[in-house]
Amino acid sequence: MNLEFTQEELDFQKSIRAWMRENVPEALERVSALGNMPTKSQQQQWERCLGKQGWLALTWPEQYGGPGWTATQRYIFDIERAMAGAPPTSPFGVAMVGPVIYTFGSPEQKERWLPGITSGETLWCQGYSEPNAGSDLASLKTRAERKQDHYLVNGQKIWTTQAHWADMMFCLVRTDPEAKKQQGISFLLIDMKTPGIEIRPIYSIDGHHHLNEVYFTDVEVPLENLVGQEGMGWTIAKFLLTHERTTIAGVADSYYALARMKQAIEDVPYYTDKPSARRRMAELEVELMALEYTNFRTVAATDEGKPFGPESSGLKIKGTELQQKMSQAMVEIGGLMSLAWDSPSVVGNESFNNAPRRYNFLRACTIYGGSNEIQKNVLAKMLLGL
Amino acid sequence: MEFNLSENTTMVADTARRYLKDHYGFVTYNEQLNQTSHCDPARWGLMMELGWLGLPFPETVGGYGGELIDVAMIVRELGAALCLDPYVDLVVAPGKLLEYIGSERAIGLLQSIVENNEKVACAFYDCHAGYNVHKPTSSIREGKLSGQKSFVPDGGCASKVLVTARLGEELVLLVVPLESCEITRYRALDGSRYADLVFHDIVIEDGMILSRGAETSRVISQVVAWLQALDCARMYGAANALYLRTLEYAKTRKQFGSAIGSFQVIQHYLVDMFTDLQQLESMLFMVSVKAELGNAQERDRACSAAKAYYADKAVKIAQQAIQIHGGIGVTEELDIGHYFRLMTHCSLTHGHRDYHLDRLASLSEVNGRG
Repeated sequence: MNLEFTQEELDFQKSIRAWMRENVPEALERVSALGNMPTKSQQQQWERCLGKQGWLALTWPEQYGGPGWTATQRYIFDIERAMAGAPPTSPFGVAMVGPVIYTFGSPEQKERWLPGITSGETLWCQGYSEPNAGSDLASLKTRAERKQDHYLVNGQKIWTTQAHWADMMFCLVRTDPEAKKQQGISFLLIDMKTPGIEIRPIYSIDGHHHLNEVYFTDVEVPLENLVGQEGMGWTIAKFLLTHERTTIAGVADSYYALARMKQAIEDVPYYTDKPSARRRMAELEVELMALEYTNFRTVAATDEGKPFGPESSGLKIKGTELQQKMSQAMVEIGGLMSLAWDSPSVVGNESFNNAPRRYNFLRACTIYGGSNEIQKNVLAKMLLGL
Repeated sequence: MEFNLSENTTMVADTARRYLKDHYGFVTYNEQLNQTSHCDPARWGLMMELGWLGLPFPETVGGYGGELIDVAMIVRELGAALCLDPYVDLVVAPGKLLEYIGSERAIGLLQSIVENNEKVACAFYDCHAGYNVHKPTSSIREGKLSGQKSFVPDGGCASKVLVTARLGEELVLLVVPLESCEITRYRALDGSRYADLVFHDIVIEDGMILSRGAETSRVISQVVAWLQALDCARMYGAANALYLRTLEYAKTRKQFGSAIGSFQVIQHYLVDMFTDLQQLESMLFMVSVKAELGNAQERDRACSAAKAYYADKAVKIAQQAIQIHGGIGVTEELDIGHYFRLMTHCSLTHGHRDYHLDRLASLSEVNGRG
């Protein structure tokens, strides 16, 4: 048992830290420090910067533009990224559709789509969820009919994060309505500028616009945008779910949030209840440590070449529960200061003013990516044998 | 970073599991529960044969130079088996204390523990000092020890006790024969045998004081760190045993015509237990490595985090196990309730949850990382 980083890993950490100090824009750092979300251009500028360095597609094999890092190095990078006040990168291109394309895609598809993902030029969104389907992905209804040289897509997607930013959508569609539920689903890449696509915003309870409804009316998608075989969509969706995710627990960003919480408490000179706030933070730190070491174990296992299976469901559950707890603590420690929702000036402390937006936003984290209840069903079946 | 147990440690753990399976069960536990001495000579002899008495100590005293993680793997199995043999209290705790003191007198006493010639207990706590082991209320004045100690886990069979006391401004550690104390014995929450001691002006003779001053505080902190880590090990063993029993029960117990494990709510309870258990195991590895560190701050941070986490999550697993078992879970007849008592017990020894949260907050100022 050795819980220390090697000298090489420590050197790596040092170099990443130095690079972050040079390259994370001050404005972005400030956005993170206040618990806000970056704008599209801030996010994209940052991802391009990482792309130029070859560090955007962290988990990818070198042949497709990954940096060739070990899981431990990727983990260190994530910690340094978060602690430098840089946001997590958007998962849709790098973590989701990219690996699907280099695993299932044709040579032409790889050549066409992968460079835009590794450079941060092409923004993607995910067309999975549909009204009334929820976590029951297999009940999707959006239909793609095969015509001469294209698919004709009709239907509706919902909860589509950043559809209004995206150039492309990867999408699950039903290509065979006669087949059984999980068969007859295919995986399509859709250009968001195609005629017939309409995007309507959904404003969430944090007051922001991240989510959308997307309507397809006779949208023509070229046949060459089908990934894998027709009817293979379910296999690809499952591949995506268990694809290696060493940062799914969100440990790095939670450490950053904890540091912000501490700073905010120290910044309020008249704060009267510091002892109880400190105990609350200690409580959160303890849970974060337990999550961190569990995550370390999966990182170490990944580096030893052991498969990373349904345990990722456990990390998702624990990680998101903790994010919610932390954001709630921030609101409650902020007390009255957390009531200023839309004030033109700072009331007491800006971090506490912003705290309820993040708390509101994070109610979604136990719902998105497969609700935590679904994750528990997966674990009960696959690990517990129930 | 790597989380694999060494071949040696794995062997120690496997041997412990086999030994307990062959020599200790719920029937033995129930018998032991009703005995006033928990040092069964036959089992103590077997422990000696297995090398446990020397495992945590250097070869120079006849030990095997084992690490905390090795001891933790034994204690994990003791917890899993509900075994009340006071191995930690009468071997590991006094032994490490004597080893760290390192004087000729101390090493001599350690040797007699390793050779199974003497049973020595540690008296760190009393009712009036809470978890603070550095400011005992007992004191030495004019060459005589007076005061009291409570919650001394001596298994009902120790002949000597290592006692902390104040001598002027100094903290001292001395060895006192139990026969010179007024003793009240009782059974503790987990079923183990405890003693309260009153010292009526015991005359301090040559050689009774083993250590004095800042050094005493330092070695006691080191030993308490071991004991905190081992509390976690014992709780992990118990929590894992509870999880396995409860999972098995959910698959076989039928209600409304189906196994209760087919109900989604029961499945989710069990998944909660499983995911908590995974994190408890991570914390056990973490604390078993860090409780041995020379860096006191890092060591104490690790111990406090682990004990605070166990007091929360391992206890929750025990509560959940009872809930899923239903009425049968709260009876003396079934082992589930006994594990529950063990869990509550260990959550209160060597610092409860609030104590550790406060200590963690004061040690780190929770400044995140980097």
